[in-house]
Amino acid sequence: MKKSLKLMAVVASLTLITGVAVAPASQAAKIKLCLALDTGGVDDRSFNEGAWKGAQASTVSTAEYLPATSSADFAPNIKKFVDKGCDLIVGVGFAISAEIVKSAKANPKIKYAVVDDAGQDCDANWNCKNVPNVKGLTFQTDEAAFMAGYLAAGMSKTGKVATYGGAPYPTVTIFMDGYARGVAYYNKQKGKNVQVLGWDPANPKSGTFVGNFSDQAKALTISKGFEQQGADVILPVGGSLGAPYAAESEKSKKSLTIWVDSDGYGLLTAGKSILLTTVVKEIGASIKSVAKDVASKKFTGDKYVGTLKNKGVSIAEYHDLSARVPGSLKTEVRTIRGAIIAGTLKVN
Amino acid sequence: MRNSLVKFGQAIKLPGLSFGLAFTLTGLIIAFSDAKVLSKIGSPLTFIKSAVATAGNAYLALFQGSIFDINLTKGHNFFQGFYPLSETIVISTPLILTGLSVALAFKSGLFNIGAQGQFIFGAIGASYVGFHFHLPIVIHVIAAALAGMVLAAIWGGAVGLLKAKTGAHEVILTIMMNYIAGYFILWTLKTSQFLRPGRIDPIAPEVNQSARLPLLAGANLRIHAGIFIALAAAVFVWWLLTKTTIGYKFRSVGANSAASKTAGISVPFVLTATMAICGALAGLGGAVQVLGSEHALNADIAGSFGFDAITVALLGRAQPLGTVFAALLFGALHAGGRTMQSSTGVPLDIVLVTQALIVLFIAAPTFVRFVFRLKKINSSAGLTSKGWNG
Repeated sequence: MKKSLKLMAVVASLTLITGVAVAPASQAAKIKLCLALDTGGVDDRSFNEGAWKGAQASTVSTAEYLPATSSADFAPNIKKFVDKGCDLIVGVGFAISAEIVKSAKANPKIKYAVVDDAGQDCDANWNCKNVPNVKGLTFQTDEAAFMAGYLAAGMSKTGKVATYGGAPYPTVTIFMDGYARGVAYYNKQKGKNVQVLGWDPANPKSGTFVGNFSDQAKALTISKGFEQQGADVILPVGGSLGAPYAAESEKSKKSLTIWVDSDGYGLLTAGKSILLTTVVKEIGASIKSVAKDVASKKFTGDKYVGTLKNKGVSIAEYHDLSARVPGSLKTEVRTIRGAIIAGTLKVN
Repeated sequence: MRNSLVKFGQAIKLPGLSFGLAFTLTGLIIAFSDAKVLSKIGSPLTFIKSAVATAGNAYLALFQGSIFDINLTKGHNFFQGFYPLSETIVISTPLILTGLSVALAFKSGLFNIGAQGQFIFGAIGASYVGFHFHLPIVIHVIAAALAGMVLAAIWGGAVGLLKAKTGAHEVILTIMMNYIAGYFILWTLKTSQFLRPGRIDPIAPEVNQSARLPLLAGANLRIHAGIFIALAAAVFVWWLLTKTTIGYKFRSVGANSAASKTAGISVPFVLTATMAICGALAGLGGAVQVLGSEHALNADIAGSFGFDAITVALLGRAQPLGTVFAALLFGALHAGGRTMQSSTGVPLDIVLVTQALIVLFIAAPTFVRFVFRLKKINSSAGLTSKGWNG
């Protein structure tokens, strides 16, 4: 017993010594990257998950995260990271932005980033100014959603498509804006009259929303309601809200679905056969890039904007439905992409 | 003196043992769900050592995240080490109030599942008065809190009135009214009255400085005067139940409403009054959350305060003092869970497992008695809610 303890001590101290000797070489550049997540959990099949995957894939940092059970957790979660000595604190989600900015102003030496918001310091009258140690990671998802809207209109047999959101956050409605405008563009080009249910960019108050990002049962009810009204392509914008609907629709074959954030083909357990495409937002890649900036001391507070051009947003492959999408429509969608990148086609 | 000590010992025996059992089981879950621990299963001694170390580290982190953390004192004053305790109290404060709301209902034989909805109305009322009006300090806080309490009292009282007049069951009513409240706040936040200028997402303006509850320990700690309000409310509930005629009527109806009716107590009045006071208590919780720590109303302001309240009241055996301790425990678990996740990687959700186990054991006193080979545990004290036919 005593002997084995002694032996263990020797082994332990040996590992310690070698560990210390090796450490500086391999860990010199590693920064501590800390993710303060939004509500919904780390495995939300959407932006929390995308952000966490991106953070884990970063080779220049060691990553950790804290989940939030409600918005009351945001401030203490960030504070926890400040106390732990994180080099880069990323707030995942628009809702957490104000707390990130507050913490950034109190701790000017720590670098911050916030997903889905400009991360500016705004007063009550909405006069905003930049904070030098906060980088806003935003995405022109309407560019990709515009392509998806055009595609949806082209695929619709009933002349009706639909969309709805989790909650009326700007980061949600931007998908719906692009989608509706893509449909409108299709109508203009083809002289058709495909209708969009659930969202009208000119009248945002009439939009259809679940009210949160977790009530999948209500999302299913909304989807079914749209199907009954004749919509045959539906874009639910809000994490994994649309998962039960996709599974249901795979059986009923009443509508095709478009996923958001990360390619739904790899995430959905049921519904792959009716997944038309995904409006992809590369949150993970944006976090990886800001971590790299911090590690190489090139961090600036300038905003990162994901566009079609810099591949921060895109639409995913058609996967199982590739054969059903007409070749001419595929070409038109590609042309639109080129026109948006070139700046000849405006999406807003 | 000695007698009351024995009584106290009796009262905390079941919660105390349930608590210990739950923590032991959670420790096992933590150890056995750890891949590193499981990989050592080949050699029993190292396995047990690493299992104990893993669970021990998790509990140490739980303590550091909820009471005191020596690491936080580095570079600051010693006082800063109590930041976790401050967090615990911040989370516990609204929970004490919603817990009291459920506990008081239990005493009148009612099962108040509606603390969540009442909390929401309290938060809406407090927020509106807080940001819309400009009043002198002190008066502003009181006005805002009162507005929240009145709204929530009406919301809660309606349940009692409906039960008294139509016989509708309060469990169904409160569950349904929680849904209504949940969607009502979403709608409210979309109206131009509540929408923060420049924003289109559901968040209200911050309440004015004059309407905020004062911080108790400087700007670095979030602990605010709401804890005194919560403790005062606990004293009030105790006083109401044990020292007043109306409290006697409450308990009497809770024990036997038919007998109370025969004795000349107006049961409809008791039901309505109880639920109105319950509503006011939960509403005060919502008000304190808005005026004390969050400052702005948002769609998930209520978190799970209203639902955790049921567990808290059960754990506190529907006694005011017990409810306060149970709420502090839940607050500590929530605050500590954060540190546990961030420093040991044990998921925050394990805290929910602990909470559930505690309640499970409290609800199954026979099992606890069996485990600890006890002869008799006084388990019925406090709760007089009577299920569906009550």
